[in-house]
Amino acid sequence: MQIYINNLTFAYGIKTVIKNLSLTLNQGDYLVIKGKNGSGKSTLVKCLLGINEVKPASIFYDENDITTFKNWTKFGYVSQSFDGFNYEFPITVSELLSVSSSKNVSAQDRLKLLDQMKIFNIQNQNINSLSGGQLQRVFIVRAMLNKPEVLILDEPTASIDKQNKTFFYETIEELNKQGITIILITHSDGIEHLNYTHELNMYGDSTNEFSTRKLSTEGGDE
Amino acid sequence: MFLSFLTDLFQQDFMLRALAAGFMLGILAPLLGSIVVVRRLSFIADTLGHFSLVGISVSLFLSSIGFSYFFEKPLYLGIIFSVIGGLLIEFFRRSYKNYKEISMVIVISLGAALSAIFFALASKTGSLYEYLFGSILTVTNYYIYLIFITLVIVSILFILYGKKIVAVSFDEMNAKFLGINVGLFQLVFIIMLSIVVSVLLEAAGVLLISSMMVIPVAAGMRIGWSYKSTVIISVIFSELSVLVGLWFAYSFTIPSGAAIVSVNIIILLIVALTKRIINTRRIKNLSKNQ
Repeated sequence: MQIYINNLTFAYGIKTVIKNLSLTLNQGDYLVIKGKNGSGKSTLVKCLLGINEVKPASIFYDENDITTFKNWTKFGYVSQSFDGFNYEFPITVSELLSVSSSKNVSAQDRLKLLDQMKIFNIQNQNINSLSGGQLQRVFIVRAMLNKPEVLILDEPTASIDKQNKTFFYETIEELNKQGITIILITHSDGIEHLNYTHELNMYGDSTNEFSTRKLSTEGGDE
Repeated sequence: MFLSFLTDLFQQDFMLRALAAGFMLGILAPLLGSIVVVRRLSFIADTLGHFSLVGISVSLFLSSIGFSYFFEKPLYLGIIFSVIGGLLIEFFRRSYKNYKEISMVIVISLGAALSAIFFALASKTGSLYEYLFGSILTVTNYYIYLIFITLVIVSILFILYGKKIVAVSFDEMNAKFLGINVGLFQLVFIIMLSIVVSVLLEAAGVLLISSMMVIPVAAGMRIGWSYKSTVIISVIFSELSVLVGLWFAYSFTIPSGAAIVSVNIIILLIVALTKRIINTRRIKNLSKNQ
């Protein structure tokens, strides 16, 4: 899927958060969105996910205007600190993934993803008994279940330790190698070693800078 | 005492009807209650009940000015008004996205005010008591059919769309990426809930219907290890409270709805206390072992 942002401007009331943002991403690209807290990263994600209403002709998915776009199953989303999810009521990992699967996802597909994420052993555990790292992997599996073309991750490493962070970035790169477009939002530094293809810096004064990275064959920086 | 209750239960028609209605209520209330609790809408049944009461009071008013049909079947307008109340809640929820509970206050206040007005206009304020507290011991055969049909429809909807209902309830935002039309789902769910609440009203009463939906689930949540187990435990607690509540109501001549809810609360307290004792012992044992 091609993602085309065309001169996007977004404001909360009179406060402009994003101004004249344009960029194009092709299938298999890996975009990292950087910026401090309050710089508009999450606002942009909400625009991309259709939660914030944008003006027509601002965002296109494969030439479909987002204002009329319906095919959201092509997206997988892992939110910042799992907000919005009710994880106090008992539900097991297996139950959650089962209700989150479309008809063409078999139990075997689910088990394979759990294995890939190294959380096969917690499938019968209650969601509210999991650690931050385990919970995050469960949500990545959920986002990956229906084979999305684009995976959007909003500051997913905020509540996990260093070891889990490393595993997380490796997993994301693996998914990207499989052809999935990745959009990763982060305010943490020290991610230069990652093999992302595009970078968007948001400066907090509604300005931004989009750039393409040239990656070496070994996967290092330019 | 309990034996004579059991003998009467199967010998007297009104007791059998109460048992049948109670059994079905015992399934319906926590089944929908579990979804209501997950969606953090515990007060919704109360609100819908108050709006359903408007329909009943309008029925009584219409019958007082000559339309006697409405006196015999006040539940029909009750269902219609409950659905209107549900749609109003949804409308206000969308208008106050960050203060969704405001919608309940608006609708419950409007429901209470309109009910009081129409009960007064119908000169039937005396019958308000039976609708506020309900009476499972006086239900008719017609009511048993109605609650049975409701149970069948709700069961079919859960069999067909149970997965989607649970997915949206746990994470409304993510449901969009599963291909679920969240807006449509919310509308269908609130209409279904409105109908169920108004049907259960006659047996449970406006003031107690919410507790029948929520309290067994609150107890089930404390010991359930999965979603499925929590719902099953809630239904068991609910059925137990119906049976014991009916026994109390019959033996001590107290209102059946109040007796059932009281048993529900006792079960919740026992569960909470037992869980606390077990947890305290576990922590002590752990610290001993260390």
